[in-house]
Amino acid sequence: MQREDPGEGRRVAVTGVGAVCGLGWGAAALWDGLRSGRPGIGPFHRFDHSRHRTHLAAEAPEAEALAGVGPGGRRLSIADRFALFAAVEALGQAGLAKDFRDDRDFRDSRDEDLEVGVYFGSSTGGIYESELFFADFLREPRRARLSSLVSQQVNAPGDAVARQLGVTGPVVTFSSACASGALALGAALEAVRSGEVEVAIAGGSDSLCQLTYAGFNALRSVDEVPCRPFRAGRAGMSFGEGAAVLVLEPLARALARGAEPLAVLAGAGSSCDAHHMTAPDPTGAGAAAAVAAALADAGVAPEVVDFVNVHGTGTPLNDAAEWQALQRVFGNRAGELPLVATKALIGHLLGCSGAIEAVATVLCLHHGELHPVRRDGEADPELPVSLVLDEPLRLPGARTAVSTSLAFGGSNAALVFSRWTGQA
Amino acid sequence: MSSRSGEPIVVTGLGTLGGWGSGSDRLAQALAAGAPLTSDVDRSAGYHLPCSARRACLVPPGQLTGWLAPAESRRMSPPSKLAVAASRMALRCAGLTSAEVEEAAVVIATAFGPSTHTEVLLKQILLEGPESASPSLFMESVANAPAAQIAIALKARGSSVTVCQREAGPLLALGLGAREIASGRAGRARRVLAGAVDEMIPLLHAILDRFGALTREEVARPFDRRRSGFLAGEGAAVVVLESQSGLAARGGRALANLLAWGSGFDPTAPPSGWGRGHRSLARSLRRTLERAGLRPSDVDLVVSGASGARDGDRLEAEVLRAVWEGTPLPPVAAPKAVTGEYGGGLLAAAVLAAAGAPMGPTPGFGEPDPELGVIPLGPLGGSPREPKGADRPHPEALTPVPSPAPSHPPPRERGTRLEVSCLSPSSPGEGGGEGAGEEGRGDEGLGRGRSEPPSVVLATSLAAGGAGAWVVLGKP
Repeated sequence: MQREDPGEGRRVAVTGVGAVCGLGWGAAALWDGLRSGRPGIGPFHRFDHSRHRTHLAAEAPEAEALAGVGPGGRRLSIADRFALFAAVEALGQAGLAKDFRDDRDFRDSRDEDLEVGVYFGSSTGGIYESELFFADFLREPRRARLSSLVSQQVNAPGDAVARQLGVTGPVVTFSSACASGALALGAALEAVRSGEVEVAIAGGSDSLCQLTYAGFNALRSVDEVPCRPFRAGRAGMSFGEGAAVLVLEPLARALARGAEPLAVLAGAGSSCDAHHMTAPDPTGAGAAAAVAAALADAGVAPEVVDFVNVHGTGTPLNDAAEWQALQRVFGNRAGELPLVATKALIGHLLGCSGAIEAVATVLCLHHGELHPVRRDGEADPELPVSLVLDEPLRLPGARTAVSTSLAFGGSNAALVFSRWTGQA
Repeated sequence: MSSRSGEPIVVTGLGTLGGWGSGSDRLAQALAAGAPLTSDVDRSAGYHLPCSARRACLVPPGQLTGWLAPAESRRMSPPSKLAVAASRMALRCAGLTSAEVEEAAVVIATAFGPSTHTEVLLKQILLEGPESASPSLFMESVANAPAAQIAIALKARGSSVTVCQREAGPLLALGLGAREIASGRAGRARRVLAGAVDEMIPLLHAILDRFGALTREEVARPFDRRRSGFLAGEGAAVVVLESQSGLAARGGRALANLLAWGSGFDPTAPPSGWGRGHRSLARSLRRTLERAGLRPSDVDLVVSGASGARDGDRLEAEVLRAVWEGTPLPPVAAPKAVTGEYGGGLLAAAVLAAAGAPMGPTPGFGEPDPELGVIPLGPLGGSPREPKGADRPHPEALTPVPSPAPSHPPPRERGTRLEVSCLSPSSPGEGGGEGAGEEGRGDEGLGRGRSEPPSVVLATSLAAGGAGAWVVLGKP
């Protein structure tokens, strides 16, 4: 197959999205929940948290945990199952599901020129299952069931997607903590632009587990109530779990096959604070550099950005640093720019957060409406941001949005999405 | 993955630690000798079965001296320490100071992340209760801790990326790092530190053994009919990547040209093993060569990821045979038999091979597997094909070390062709890159005084779970 010249003009469309999170299974459940502004954060049952410091999380409903999972699913981790569901949903919306039937004969006969890659982010992969194994192992090493470790690797969710869908192109898992999902999308963008792949299945997946729950509690970074990004009383994050997948392909290809793009992934940028393992650079310089790089990559000026889906964990230091970064990039507009704080509703999905917040950003652009968060307590006078509160904000003219991911270890990533206006 | 701008990418520095100690010269010696340097794994925790594997290629004590001050490293996990030390070695080898990599990106692969910290933290949570979890352990238990610590230590403010793709990770990291430079897009780094790090703790060793992944012999025997698993390993390998024009502007020298990189996936693979889908992997590898404008016959040496894994080596052989389509393979080296699996030894070996370091015989190889049809470097004749050009010696011929391999490498022979590196750990200088100055740019380069190295080196690595990655390196 003759490939399109991978030049600057190769724009990349988002043609499908899929999601699982505490608000439910499916992108529609995500969008409905986001529009409501009601947090999906509450009591959870994944593990016994009675001895942990806090007791809330946005846990995915269990009822459909096996949906979309075929033979061999018994050994898949929860994170794998989330990933598979989201990938199948996204491909379905993209109109590409017929190309990815779970059928070995079909796979073998498929047009090999459709080069497909999987780019995934995960912080801990199947560590929940590893914890179960390790608990048994510590009690009786010889009796612990190895089968629970089969899909334990951080790369397991991305691999599971590729395996189930018969992907033969690049499969890469990024594990840069909370920036993983956004970095995966950035890599996927570059792969589609360069012509390395024709379709990228990009996203992330993580499940609740004791290690991160206890670890962040040990850092005193978890709020005892649902997290309150940018509010005066904020005291930390809330955990979430789930998966999100975006299908990326060249805009020209999508239009040629009659697909309706949801948005255009216009740019990606990343940076490192090089400051501290857990604390963000308080000047926001690193985060600003990532956003600036993404805007430059997209070829758009800060002035045209209509809203930002902020990382907004709700930790005092992180939100303060992000505010500094916003000021560095957007100057006097920083306080007026509508901010969307998705984590307030679905919690922090760690390695998947960048991916599911990318889905939220795409949906906001697509619907011309920004989802709200609940007005929890007073605004922080030190962070005079324009958070979308209580009610969705109609913004039908919104053309350009930024989504930020700021991680442990100072790894920062930003994505720029453009509304699909029907003009190539 | 390929360069869009067409800007050639070069490898200008290499730092490495592993079972061979610290520094590329020691690794080169071990590779030339074909000698794995293994140690007994601590079995005192009771994790191991009585009949389990006992040996692994573990980093000997004291290797960080001079590269990492105790006060600086006191809160680092073992992989972070290894990664920072290897990065400083790489900078020194490249003749760069920390100030010259302030905008650099860091791309590090790890298969298992900081396992010691994760194990201890989980024990705290599960045995003592979650309130006993140590915050300092937690912050270094994340997979991206080594990449972050490199960035902090070097003040490198470009992208910080951690890749987890098991055995394919190190070559993927190299490719992703190269793409960062090659894209030529706004906001991308001009220099990249790319590599891999892993530690091999008793718990991980015991679990790999229970999965049947490890050999219980002293050697791993890649491609051998009797192979029974791989030798576990640990360590770090970090390279400095730059654009050729950037290198020319600063007046440095290259260890290798990065001609192409690529990856693929075998969907027939089980989650923790290798499949039979060699056709799709071979197709991807062929495309990678095509992107570099190369034919299989242009490859002078394959630095194979074969490790002694029964299914992994079979798949590796099937992929190579499919790419070469019945024509003789070039010489095939299997350095994981020396370095062990994990820790970036393959990546370091590939760079060394492209830089002209000799690849020695394959430890433990003695009985060809007729199903595989690949004979790695060694006394049985190595490759069925003679190298191109009368002036280019067969890699095997460079290192007539008898097999079976000795349990320890030969003594270091200064002034001989085994003295191949600028990376002696004895005088690392302040902070590695700092103060390296002219010595790093000097003539004591890899390959000094050696015979003509192979012009094109293909490195391959197929991961359990299905991923595969390849890198094509050229003589600078």
